[in-house]
Amino acid sequence: MPKPIIEVDRCKGCELCINACPEDVLAMSSEINAKGYFYPSVVHPDDCTGCRYCLLVCPDTAIQIENKGKVTTPPEALTGKTFSYCPGCTHGVIHRLVAETIDSLGIRDRTVGIAPVGCSVLAYEFFNCDMQEASHGRAMAVATGIKRGRPDLMVFTYQGDGDLASIGMAETIHAANRGEKITVIFVNNAIYGMTGGQMAPTTMPGQVATTCPTGRDVNLAGWPIRVVELLKTLRTPAYLARVAVHDPKNILNAKKAIRKAFKYQLDGTCFSLVEVLSTCPTNWGYQPHESCEWVEENMVPYYPLGEVKVPEEVPVQVGS
Amino acid sequence: MAKKLMKGCEAIGEAAIHAGCRLFFGYPITPQNEIPEYMSARLPQVGGMFVQAESEVAASNMLYGASGAGCRVFTSSSSPGISLMMEGVSYMAGAELPVVIVNIMRGGPGLGGILPSQSDYFQATKGGGHGDYRVLVLAPSTVQEAADLVIDAFDLADKYRNPVMVVGDGLIGQMMEPVEFKKTIKPEELAEKPWATTGCAGRERNVINSLYLDPEQLEKHNWDLYAKYQSMAAEVRHEDYNTEGGCDVLIVAYGTVARIAKTAIDQAREKGLKIGLFRPITLYPYPAEALAKAALGAKAVLVAELSTGQMVEDVRAIVAGRRPVAFHGRVGGMVMGPDDLVAEAEKLVAVPA
Repeated sequence: MPKPIIEVDRCKGCELCINACPEDVLAMSSEINAKGYFYPSVVHPDDCTGCRYCLLVCPDTAIQIENKGKVTTPPEALTGKTFSYCPGCTHGVIHRLVAETIDSLGIRDRTVGIAPVGCSVLAYEFFNCDMQEASHGRAMAVATGIKRGRPDLMVFTYQGDGDLASIGMAETIHAANRGEKITVIFVNNAIYGMTGGQMAPTTMPGQVATTCPTGRDVNLAGWPIRVVELLKTLRTPAYLARVAVHDPKNILNAKKAIRKAFKYQLDGTCFSLVEVLSTCPTNWGYQPHESCEWVEENMVPYYPLGEVKVPEEVPVQVGS
Repeated sequence: MAKKLMKGCEAIGEAAIHAGCRLFFGYPITPQNEIPEYMSARLPQVGGMFVQAESEVAASNMLYGASGAGCRVFTSSSSPGISLMMEGVSYMAGAELPVVIVNIMRGGPGLGGILPSQSDYFQATKGGGHGDYRVLVLAPSTVQEAADLVIDAFDLADKYRNPVMVVGDGLIGQMMEPVEFKKTIKPEELAEKPWATTGCAGRERNVINSLYLDPEQLEKHNWDLYAKYQSMAAEVRHEDYNTEGGCDVLIVAYGTVARIAKTAIDQAREKGLKIGLFRPITLYPYPAEALAKAALGAKAVLVAELSTGQMVEDVRAIVAGRRPVAFHGRVGGMVMGPDDLVAEAEKLVAVPA
């Protein structure tokens, strides 16, 4: 019989696994773990179908699944260090998807990742491959330097909305327009997390942030920037997709898009960028599961999901 | 190798190729456009890569990435562009990345002008960006020396894992002089950089980083960097000219102004006035001991710069009141003539009436 195995001391008590389980296998324990969080325990093991939803939504790689004597393992492309993210923040899910992709393509020993400035500033401690820490917004310039000097390496950046779409917008547009053969993981959670909840270029209209305390006024701050649609207007071929990670189905779709993005780089085809709609329970002021609902209800309608651009098959003709 | 008549900027570009550099990231700005133009044509011929960045900010961060991946890499710019690059320079100093940056200085502040200047001395020698750091600074005064120093700059950058800046001005960049390249390094002959992010196959992963959230670690990092900068004192270089046996006035000048000073020395000789020249070639680390010795052999010191007085502060600190130190500066792209320097020197040794 399949069953979830909870690595108790990794858990931050976000309860997303309990919400995700279709069979109510899990319930919160009344005990706290070494970090001081309540954690889930398996209360109805016989009902587990091995669907892995709990593993998929866990932002802290605290759940593995045992099935037919085999136990899933966390990706080799993660160091195993506990993420520095708040409970329920879906950064951790995105980290795992990127790491699983690196593992499945067998590229860990020739991959260089670029960490940004923002909540994921410490990503270099979590990805188990060579890493560089960039200054704020310049991850794609750093990636350009690496890839142009060493085209044999696989280069990815991991950036938030402030980093990529505000201070780093010039680097973003020009790296995409040059068609740098890099992969960009763009985490859009509509807020500045690390600095304490200020307005982002992707903050939703009316959304309250510490620098728009009465809600984003589009007459003053403009409308949220739709990054992949903006980049789509460039003539240079690219793979551009927007995905989300607020439920198991979307997480599986996100993984497909991330894998495609890396594959396009591996094949030397084009620039690739996957925008991932993510949550910020702490600064949004919602419970983790409410944050996931907020993504579905507020972000997805404005930031439509799907592949926005795929590289063209026809070679570009220059001149007549 | 036969000497070839080359423009300063082109010689700088060719020197980088002779140093085994195959990567250039930069953004156009006058008066150094001949460097990126030269590199855009030359690098593809030698299997290299030229990228015109969207800005100097981006260019400096491309350098960070490429250097972090173990590549010899360089850029060139001029004063306002160098200011924009200071973000990357601070991060490269913090992450201990070797790069070579050429600054063909122009007048400032702000947009300033495009004519020769030495007004970025403070920026170059005192750090320039945020944080407690130094870059090694080399100041050529001829096209040949520019070529030599650019080649040396790459070796020094690798030796100290630190940015190295070569500062010239529009005169050095634009003039043509005969030049030969004294060595040619093939990229494949360069030593491995075991710290670089080249893929972690067969080793522990490498991280290029300047973030130290633990204050004790950051303090240690700062003192380690400080010790490294102190150790660079081994690299001091200077030229003494006409100082044997002492002199009436010692001119202290670098780069273009040192050339003018040499002409002034010849003119003064005809008037019976002995002027010597102390020319620092490394502006950081500064050849302090040698300057003190030369200054004590003179009755007075005259610092001449294309600024309102920057290097003169270092000279005064080194001479420490043991000799009078006067200053003569021209700015905004205006350049003093040899006769101006002779007249200033004459004032210093004139017997009061």
